[in-house]
Amino acid sequence: MGFWNQVGHFYADHSQLLLHEVGSQVLLSLAAVAAAVVIALPVGVLTGHLHRWSFVAISGGNALRALPTLAIIAVGIGVYGLGFVNIWVAMIILAVPLILTNTYTAVDGVNPALVEAARGMGMNAWQIIWRVELPNSVPLIMAGIRTATVYVIATAYLAAFAGSPGTLGDIIGNEGSYTLAGVMAAAIVAVVLAFLAELLLGLAQGMMTPRGLRLTADGVPGRAYRRAFRLNFE
Amino acid sequence: MSALAAAAPTPTPPPGGGPVIPNFGGGACPSHTTFCWNWVTQNWGPELGPRLAEHVYITLIAVGIGLVISLAAAMYAYQRGWFERGFIALSTLLYTIPAVAFFLFFVPITGLSLTTIEIGLVGYTFLLLFRNALTGLRSVPPEVTAAAAGVGMTPRQVFFRINVPLAVPSIMAGLRIATVTTISLATIAAYITPLGLGEPIFTALHTVFTTELIAAGVLAILLALVADGLLVLAQRAVTPWARARLRGAR
Amino acid sequence: MSHGTHARNLGSRSPGYWRRISATASLAALALAVAACGSSGSSSSSSSSASAPAGTSSASSGAATGLPAGTPGKGKPTITIGDKNFSEENLIGDLYQQALQAKGYTVVLKANVGASEVIDSAFQSGQINLYPEYTGEILAAVAHQTGRSASAQQAWQLAKAFEEQNRDATLLAETPFQDTDVVIVKPAFAAKYHLQSIGDLINVGPAGKGVTWAAQPPDRTRFAGLVGLQQAYGLTAVAFDGVDVGLTYNALDSGAVNSADAFSTDGQLSTGKYVALQDPKHIMGFQHIAPVVKKSLLASEGPAFAQTLNWVDSLLTQQAILQMNAAIQLRHIDPAVVAKQFLAANGLTS
Repeated sequence: MGFWNQVGHFYADHSQLLLHEVGSQVLLSLAAVAAAVVIALPVGVLTGHLHRWSFVAISGGNALRALPTLAIIAVGIGVYGLGFVNIWVAMIILAVPLILTNTYTAVDGVNPALVEAARGMGMNAWQIIWRVELPNSVPLIMAGIRTATVYVIATAYLAAFAGSPGTLGDIIGNEGSYTLAGVMAAAIVAVVLAFLAELLLGLAQGMMTPRGLRLTADGVPGRAYRRAFRLNFE
Repeated sequence: MSALAAAAPTPTPPPGGGPVIPNFGGGACPSHTTFCWNWVTQNWGPELGPRLAEHVYITLIAVGIGLVISLAAAMYAYQRGWFERGFIALSTLLYTIPAVAFFLFFVPITGLSLTTIEIGLVGYTFLLLFRNALTGLRSVPPEVTAAAAGVGMTPRQVFFRINVPLAVPSIMAGLRIATVTTISLATIAAYITPLGLGEPIFTALHTVFTTELIAAGVLAILLALVADGLLVLAQRAVTPWARARLRGAR
Repeated sequence: MSHGTHARNLGSRSPGYWRRISATASLAALALAVAACGSSGSSSSSSSSASAPAGTSSASSGAATGLPAGTPGKGKPTITIGDKNFSEENLIGDLYQQALQAKGYTVVLKANVGASEVIDSAFQSGQINLYPEYTGEILAAVAHQTGRSASAQQAWQLAKAFEEQNRDATLLAETPFQDTDVVIVKPAFAAKYHLQSIGDLINVGPAGKGVTWAAQPPDRTRFAGLVGLQQAYGLTAVAFDGVDVGLTYNALDSGAVNSADAFSTDGQLSTGKYVALQDPKHIMGFQHIAPVVKKSLLASEGPAFAQTLNWVDSLLTQQAILQMNAAIQLRHIDPAVVAKQFLAANGLTS
């Protein structure tokens, strides 16, 4: 049986298993990103609003981003053992830097004139944050959450090495039981999953962004923006 | 060491023949302690130290080759006007290929060797650095190129004297991310062939030997943080003018 | 070797005495046999057919299991051994390497090559020319044969035939030990329900009702797994709990399940904390280790090569492997160190 034939057969024989694992992986990823948002968003907003302690957001974020995921899992096994908590913490550490840096940069970079005007209107700090800074920061914050989610979904298969079964890593990390064809099949599913997540979240981000602020995936200002400001890009 | 001492007073072999099974000793650690420093000191020379050195070596090769290839490719793409849009999405997508599977599939082609690992690592590095280099080259405001042309510079001079220096911050930022990502991926690459700090991690996973897991994990983390720190210093040294701009720039 | 000899001669009939006698006798027999058969390099057929597959002690299996004297390996081509990525295979890879090196052979060891398929493809592509493999695993994972072997001997024959026809390779003698899946329970549970073999699980409840079995998820659909329990032993009411391979012992220890899947040579089984149930219907197959070696390598290395490997394999009884695995898995001693001590204790000299 040719290799690709085997891969096709694997899909046919294990479709339920694969679907189940996709579901678990998505749930794990959402749990991690949710926790990361809860941690990173307040910190980013506050430091951005106060325009202080940027090192917390920038340097702290960079330090967390540097940590090798498998090493976090390994040390975590010693500290809190195998299981869900282990991979959850590792994925949170993966997601926080992206969300934190983007949130800080966004809130910090809101047009100062807008903030001044709001202050002049008598808004207090919370009102400024909620009504001025956050809405203007949505595109960048959403971009951060989106990238973080895609990365986490793509890396969550490492749960298999953290003693947390249920993700596609059960197949990818178990070539002995599932054969190379199975690993390929699961890897393809993982990539497609990440791709779909990117697409869906891109759509969601687009819908949430006020029209004038709409940016393309590249971060290069979109057509509307360019036309509005008559900039010429090669 | 104690090989002879352990073997010398031989226990009686089982009745009916059979091999002699020596007393292998108690091992370096009392069983089931979370972290046993004794094991680390005993195994630093034979295992942990060489693995750390291997890991540094693997990372340097991957980042070095990746940097050269991506700079060349970015210059070429800039001059040809390729990849105006969409490459970021594509490279993000390629980044999502599970590293374990990615490495596993090069094995039939390049075997179970450093080459396989390096191909994978250079691939990931390239995706990152190429994007950053291209973005950097394109980050020059049009007024500046217009002014340069007005002063009489040829396009080639404009490129090398203006675009390239202004791309350096972006490249350095990319280099920093690429290096720590490579260190992280290299730990996973040990799944394929036992090189680098990932090897003690995978070995220790089988028996959940927490001392080895913690030792190798902490070493990998420290390596990544030190590398990141050194590159921050390098970044500051190379782009003093960019520091003021870091906050607002994308 | 001289230290060891003097130490042992201080008593009468020291433990190693009969061992050395039988080794010398085997060597003499082998020398005669080789002289009789002529000096051609067809050692593959003579050694593999002469050495019995399983369960026989080294002394009685006759030719090709004594350790050759001197360093016959000097000047011979390099041997590249591969082993799979778990400790038992690492141990055997180290044992082979050290024994061959002591006999003068040039050996390169590529450890942790991967699982059955990966190491087989490395073997095919010539990256390695010798590796230890389980006979049942060759049939299932490499040859993709779905039939079940009736005996260890048959599994060995079929695996050998496969390698000879498809890989330009052959199998040398297999080890006395085998490493199959095994159903384990706690001693108290075994005592309560009078459990000695898997079939006795009927005692727990009709068709095994009330038995929970923790095993790797793929075992749910395997004959050497849940399917075998159901079909061969009639345990259709056993509840299956799919857990990661490293967590089966945890699941049993914590009481989440009352039986688990383990490997018959796991170090944990030497601690007395678990009882392994017998498998008289052999649903778990036959998994003796045998060296898979390229025919060309066998031809170019000379008869002492196969003889050395057969000597090592003959020492690997269930008890020996169990004790060595316990040292490696439970006390975290390096496999290479364990291998060295074991070989030295059994008379490895150069």
